[in-house]
Amino acid sequence: MNAELQDDILERENVAIGQQEENSCESRSKRRKRRGKWNKEAIIAIILALIPVIGFLIFNGFPLVISFLALFCDVDLYELGSFSWNNFEGFKVIFSNDYSLSTYGLNVAHYFYKACGITLWIASTQFVTLLIALGIAVLLATKVKGHNVFQILFFVPYICSTVAVSLMWRWMFSGEDSGVLNTIFGTSITWLNDPSTMTWTIIIAIIWQAPGYGIVMYKSALANIDVSQYEAAELDGANAWEKFIHITLPGIAPTTFYLLIAGIGAGFLTYDIAALMIPDGFAGSIGGNESMGLTLVRLMYYLIRNDQLASSVVSAASVITWVLFVVTGSITLALFRRRDKLMEG
Amino acid sequence: MERVIKAQKTKKRFSVGKIFVFAVLVFYTLFLFGPLLIVFLTSVTSTEQLTSTTSFVWLPKVTFRPYGSVFSDDIAADYLGAPSLLIGFANTLWMTLLPLIVGLVVSGLSAYAYSKLKFPGQKKIFRIAFLLSMVPLGAFGVISYTFYSQIGWVGTPFPLIIPGMFGSMGTVFFFKMFYEGIPDSLIEAGKIDGLGIFGSFFLILFPLAVPAFIAQFIFGFVAGYNSYMGPLLYLEGVPELATLQLVLSDVRGTFPGLGKENIHCAAAILGMLPLILIYCFLQKFFIEGIAVGGVKG
Repeated sequence: MNAELQDDILERENVAIGQQEENSCESRSKRRKRRGKWNKEAIIAIILALIPVIGFLIFNGFPLVISFLALFCDVDLYELGSFSWNNFEGFKVIFSNDYSLSTYGLNVAHYFYKACGITLWIASTQFVTLLIALGIAVLLATKVKGHNVFQILFFVPYICSTVAVSLMWRWMFSGEDSGVLNTIFGTSITWLNDPSTMTWTIIIAIIWQAPGYGIVMYKSALANIDVSQYEAAELDGANAWEKFIHITLPGIAPTTFYLLIAGIGAGFLTYDIAALMIPDGFAGSIGGNESMGLTLVRLMYYLIRNDQLASSVVSAASVITWVLFVVTGSITLALFRRRDKLMEG
Repeated sequence: MERVIKAQKTKKRFSVGKIFVFAVLVFYTLFLFGPLLIVFLTSVTSTEQLTSTTSFVWLPKVTFRPYGSVFSDDIAADYLGAPSLLIGFANTLWMTLLPLIVGLVVSGLSAYAYSKLKFPGQKKIFRIAFLLSMVPLGAFGVISYTFYSQIGWVGTPFPLIIPGMFGSMGTVFFFKMFYEGIPDSLIEAGKIDGLGIFGSFFLILFPLAVPAFIAQFIFGFVAGYNSYMGPLLYLEGVPELATLQLVLSDVRGTFPGLGKENIHCAAAILGMLPLILIYCFLQKFFIEGIAVGGVKG
């Protein structure tokens, strides 16, 4: 939640910095005068200013450097600074089918490719979440009776913990006799164990929980669109659909942009809900039956917490980390590149 | 004038469109609250009734025994000294509040240094910090385990507490944005009155920025209260440090056996209750807190 909020703020700061840039010529001469003034106040100020940066560098920098070195080296989990060249072992384990099966008795590459597919599938749910959020927000914006009450209600799932949500949906989907959905439909499907339904149970749980945030964001974005634009369009004879396409969508484009960035990032990094809905079964079923609940982060987690890959554990997990980082990073970058276009609609 | 009256008339009219909108919203409400209602119904069903039938019990003989069982039937309570749900709640509270409050003060002070104080290289440092924090580093969440394992922090709450105490750049940007609406002259006036750097922050800026702090506090608290993967990575296998979410996620192990879904559901409801209650009283802050972040482009 915080991360998403953060993104918005960063975004706004970006704009602010752009504006500052324009003014920078003016302030440059002022700044030059200021330089070299290291009084007591300036020292305290720079320390205060730098504390979050230092924390950021320590707690993100070290994992980043370690995982980068671990791409090419074996790393001991319990000894700082123990690196030894491993001849691309991590890459072989992750990408080369059957390599790790013969070496470590665990076909990691098979799980990796499976997890890539499932992760993409789950990440694409974010578009559905976005559409639901937009649809509901548009309906709320019609000021139908009780729209404020509806909005308050719709945000509730968002503050429910993923653990509680998974308990709830596992009970709904329970395959035992008293399972709720099986009672309602009179079926006896083992929703949580059947490879053809497992992934859907995760997706339904996500769709239940996720739109609340987008609804609130979209609702406030819709409320900020200038009413006179609609009035002008009405005078020009635009119908409701045309107004939506030409006024509403461009007006909420910044919000769509934030929600997309935050949502896709979160989608690719899905762990909690997948691991809770479809827990690892017995040995050989990482991510449930036929691994239909396995995401990339889950695979990474499994590798790190199980010693099956011996000294190459960190190396293999680092390869997945960097794959995820490159994918989420380039999507974010691509969205930023297209941002101005998006904003114009 | 005529048009205004006309508009009012159409508003009051019984329109098909409005009924459709209302119906969709009611349907969505049912989708959201149906499952919650079912969890509640299950939590007030007795174990005997759950095991006596093969289908879901829609109209149970209401009993609140499962809520008591959450505390009395806990098999871990013997060696933990207290029901695991209570221990989890206490752990969650201190592990969330300590880094959150310290982190908010640190971020608040940092934003104050960037926006109201002066030091050489201020703009440059801010820009670098800003660019750094734009990098989406979420993918490194699990691999951080390697780092914390190497410095011996696994099995301790430190990885969940210490990083948060340094504040976060996102919060710094949020506060900086908020401070910019507060005139510098107030700080200057404080200086003239003899307040130091910290005096003018805590006595002048902070009281004015309380809404921003509340918004960040609420979201930080919800995120910390609900977080699952971090505690799982670092605290699994240390039951006396388990957070509420870890306890809840293992509820099937703590209350094993047939027909114990009522206890599981009761535990889930008890776990959600604190945040739901906070939301009931402070929902204005929740919704405005989000809206503040996303109003403009």
